[in-house]
Amino acid sequence: MDKALLLQLGGSVAAVALLVAFAAWLGVARSTPPLDAESAKALLFLEFPEHRPDAVWIAADGAALIAREGAQALVLYRRGDGYVARDLPWSVVAALKPSGGRLKLRLSDARPIFAVETDAWPPKELA
Amino acid sequence: MLKAPFDPVQLAIPFFVLAIILEILLGRFGKAKANYETRDTAMSLSMGVGSTVAGLFFGGVIFATTVWVYQHRLFTIPMTAIWAWVAVFLLEDLTYYWFHRLAHERRFWWASHVNHHTSTHYNLSTALRQTWTGGVAGTWLLWLPLSFLGFPPAMVAIQKGISLVYQFWIHTEAIKRMPRWFEAVFNTPSHHRVHHARNARYLDANYAGILIIWDRMFGTFIPEVDEEPCRYGTVKNLGNFNLFHNVFHEWIGIGKDVAGSKSPREALGYMFGPPGWSPDGSRDTSHTLKAKWRARVEAEKPSR
Repeated sequence: MDKALLLQLGGSVAAVALLVAFAAWLGVARSTPPLDAESAKALLFLEFPEHRPDAVWIAADGAALIAREGAQALVLYRRGDGYVARDLPWSVVAALKPSGGRLKLRLSDARPIFAVETDAWPPKELA
Repeated sequence: MLKAPFDPVQLAIPFFVLAIILEILLGRFGKAKANYETRDTAMSLSMGVGSTVAGLFFGGVIFATTVWVYQHRLFTIPMTAIWAWVAVFLLEDLTYYWFHRLAHERRFWWASHVNHHTSTHYNLSTALRQTWTGGVAGTWLLWLPLSFLGFPPAMVAIQKGISLVYQFWIHTEAIKRMPRWFEAVFNTPSHHRVHHARNARYLDANYAGILIIWDRMFGTFIPEVDEEPCRYGTVKNLGNFNLFHNVFHEWIGIGKDVAGSKSPREALGYMFGPPGWSPDGSRDTSHTLKAKWRARVEAEKPSR
C-alpha cells in the first residue's frame, strides 16, 4: 500500500470518527420512550401485522416486549433508537431462566437482554 | 482514453462531509427532519471507507477486463463529443437501473447490496453505506457492453461516478418533495425514500439512479404517499450493530441454505431465487409480503 493511500485511509477514518462524535454530541437520535401498553400494541401491529397476540409482557425497563400467540413468541427489543422483531417458538422463551433481574435470549444474530422485576418466569401475563 | 483523468466521487468527498454536518445541524435545531443514531452512523460511514478499500482488491481485475473489452469494441466513440456524453448518460443510467433491479430481486446479488439497506435511518450517511462485496458478486460485468459499444472506459467510469454523486443527495428526509416536473423525470429524495422503505406496499420499487423514467417505463415506480410514512431498513432488520455481520450476513445465509439443500434445484433457488425464496414457500418474499398487505387492505375496506 503506498503512502498516499495510507494517508487517505487515515484521513477517512479520522473524518468518520469526528462525524460520529459530532452526531453523538448533538444527540439527534429518535426519541424512544419506554414502551407502555398502548405503544407496545402499536409496535406489535406494525411489526407483526398478520398476528393477533393473546398476551403481551413488557420488560421492566420498557425497552423490549414478548408477546405470545399460541405456541409462538413474538419478540421485540430495542436496538439503538429502533426495535428489532423476531418470532420463535414459545417453548424456547418459556424455558429461559432469569437471573439477577436479567433474562438473556439467544437469537441467531443477537443476544438481547430483558429486564425482569422478579426471577419468576414466565411472567403471569404470559403464563 | 482508458483511465479517467479525475474521479467525481473523490472530488465530492468534502461536499459529502459538509452536507452531513449541515443535515445533522438542521436536524438538531429542528429546521428539517433528520435523525442520526450514533452506532448506525458509525456503521454507515465505516461501510463507506471499507468499500473504498475493498474496491482496491477487485479494481485491477475490473479495469483490465474493461480495457480488454474496449480493445474489441464495435465502434470508436469520441470522448469529446457532446452527443457521446448524452448517450453515455442515458445508457449508463439504464444499465444502473437493471443492475439495481437485479441486486434486489435475485438473492446472490442482493447479498452484496443488502448492506446498503440495513440502516433503519434515512439520512445522508446512509448514502455512504456502500458494498464491500460488489466485486465478488460480479455486477460490474453489466457495464462491459458500454465499453464493447465503444465508449472509452474513462468515460464510463466518470459517468458512473457522476451517478453515485447524484445519488448522495437523495438520501435525506430533509427534503419533502421537489417541483413536480423534477419529480416526474428525476430520482428524488421522495422516490428514493420509497426504495429504502420496508413497508410491504413499497417493497421492490424505484430502482432508478438519476432518471426515474426507467421505473415508470418498466412498471416498478411507486410514489410515496403521506398516509403511510416510510419505515426504513430491511424486512427483517439486523439484530446487532456488528459491521462484519452487516457485510457478510446474507452471504452466510446463502451458504447455510445451500449446504442444507436437498437437490441442485433447491441450491440454485436459494442462490438465484428472489430473497426469501424457500422450496416449500415457508419464508416470505417481497411478492408474498405485498400479497398479504393487499389482502389486509381489501379486508379493511368497508363493505358496500
